[in-house]
Amino acid sequence: MSEFIINAEHQPPREVNRAIKKAALDYDKIIIKNPNAMHYIASGLVDHVELVIEGSAGYFAGTMIDGAKIHITENAGWFPADNMTAGEVIIDGSAGDGVGQGIYGGTVVVKRDVGSRTGEIMKEGTIIVGGNSGFMSGLFMMGGRIIILGDISEDAGESIIRGAIYVLGNIKSLGKNAKIDELDDEDKKELKELLPEYGFDLTDENYNSFKKIVPRSNRPFYGKESEEG
Amino acid sequence: MCGIAGVVFKDKKLHPVGDTLTKMLEALQHRGPDSAGLAIYGGLGLNENEYLLNIEVKEKPGLLERVKETVSTATPIKKEEIIPSVENYIIYRCKIKLNSFSELKPLIMDIDKIEDVIVLNGAHSFEMIKDVGLVKDIAARYDTRSKMGTHGIGHTRFSTESLVDRYHAHPFQSYIIPDITVVHNGQITNYWKIRDPLERKGHIFETDNDTECIVHYIADKLAEGYKLEEALEQSVKDMDGPFSYIVGTPNGVGIAKDQLGLRPGVMAENNEVFAIASEEVSLREVMDTHDIDQIAPGETRAYTI
Repeated sequence: MSEFIINAEHQPPREVNRAIKKAALDYDKIIIKNPNAMHYIASGLVDHVELVIEGSAGYFAGTMIDGAKIHITENAGWFPADNMTAGEVIIDGSAGDGVGQGIYGGTVVVKRDVGSRTGEIMKEGTIIVGGNSGFMSGLFMMGGRIIILGDISEDAGESIIRGAIYVLGNIKSLGKNAKIDELDDEDKKELKELLPEYGFDLTDENYNSFKKIVPRSNRPFYGKESEEG
Repeated sequence: MCGIAGVVFKDKKLHPVGDTLTKMLEALQHRGPDSAGLAIYGGLGLNENEYLLNIEVKEKPGLLERVKETVSTATPIKKEEIIPSVENYIIYRCKIKLNSFSELKPLIMDIDKIEDVIVLNGAHSFEMIKDVGLVKDIAARYDTRSKMGTHGIGHTRFSTESLVDRYHAHPFQSYIIPDITVVHNGQITNYWKIRDPLERKGHIFETDNDTECIVHYIADKLAEGYKLEEALEQSVKDMDGPFSYIVGTPNGVGIAKDQLGLRPGVMAENNEVFAIASEEVSLREVMDTHDIDQIAPGETRAYTI
C-alpha cells in the first residue's frame, strides 16, 4: 500500500484539500499530520482513498465525500460527513452537532458523545454513536438508521419521516411523529453483524435492550394518518 | 458568526491570561474579522475605589486636554497613558480614585458629553482591551500578551446588526454592579422584551446592541442576589433567538447557550484550567483536548474562584 503524508500545520484548508485530492490520484493512503481542528478537511473528496487525520478535525470534516474511508483519531466539530454519498467516517473521540447531516449513504461512527441533531435530514446510510446523542437527534430523518449506544436527549426523532433510530440507553423524550417500536429478529441480526465491525462488543442482553424509534406516519403534515400504509 | 472564549486558572494566582486569550482568539479569527476584545481579570492591582478608564479620543487639537479637565474636575488623575489606535483616534487611559462605585457611571456620562470622545469602559478589577481590526494587530497595539490575570473572556466579532467601532466591539460592560462583562455570538430576538423592564428599573442603555442588553440583564440579576449560575439559567428561559454568550465577573466566568442550540460552545477542563470557546481549535491553545464537552442546547456552565 502506498502512503503519502501531508503536514497541515499553518496551511489553510483550501491548500490541504488540494494536496489531498492530488495525492488521492497516486496513493492508497493519505495521512494528515497537525490538523489542529481545521475546518472542511477532505471536503468533496470523491476518490476511494483511505485518509487518516491524526488529531482533531473542525467543522464539516469529510463533507460530500463519495467513497473515501476517513479515520479521525481525536474529535470532530459540527457536521462531520455532511451529505456524504458513500464511504466511511470514523471518529475516535467526540463530535459536535449535526453528525451525518443529510447523508445519502455510507457509515459514520463516533466512538464517544455527540452534540445535537445527529443525522438530521439523512436519506440513507448508517450513523453509530458510542456515547450519548443530544437534542432532536434524527430531526426530519428520511431514511437510513441511527444507532445510539448511550442515551438520547429530548425530542428524539423529531418529525421523522422514514428510517429508524436504535437506542440502547435512555430516551429522554420523543419528538413529534416519533414512536417506540419493538425490535424484530431481523433488526437484532443487523445490529449484531454491524456493531462488532466497529469495535463495539455488546452482550445478548444489550441487544435485547435496544429500543427502536420509528415514524408514526409517513405523511404527518397533511392531515392523514398515512398514505403509504 | 462571532468567536467567544473564556478561561479561568483555578489556583487564583496570576497567570499570562492575556497571552492565553490572545492565542484562543487568534484561533477563532475566522469567525469574525471586524473587531476583537478581551477582559482580563485579577491583574490590575488597584486599591479600593480606584478605577482605570479607557477613553477613545479623536486626534483633534485641544480635545485630550478637555477630557483631562473633565476628569480632573471630578477627581485627580493618578496615572495616565496614551495608546495610539487607528483612524485618527487615540486611547487615553487614566487611573482615578472615586469615593464609591456609584460615582463611576455619572463621571463616564459627563465625559461622553464631549464630542468625538467616548469612554470605552471603567473598571476596578479587570483590564478591558478592545478595538477594531484583527486580533494580531490589536494584540501588538495593546501588548495583550504581557497582561497577567486570574481569568478572562474574549471575542472576535463578525458584525450583524450594529456598528463596527471600538465601543461596539465586545466585551460589553454593565455598571449596575461593578465589573460585569459579556461576549456574545448570536442574536437576542426578543431584545425589546428584555430591555424594556430593565430600562423601567432605571438602567441606562448606550446602544441598541443586544450584547449590551445581555450584560445589563445579567448584572441586574446578580444585583438582585442571583448566583452567576442562576442568572445564566434564568437568561436561557427569558431570552429567545440563537445565542451563546460568556459572562466575566470578578470571581469567574460562565456560558449560556440558547434552547435550540443554534450557536456553538465547547468546554474542557483539567486540574489547573477551566476553558470555554466557540470551537475546539481555540481550546487547544490552552490544554490537551482529548476530553471536550459540547455545551448542550439550553445548558449553562460556570466556574468561580
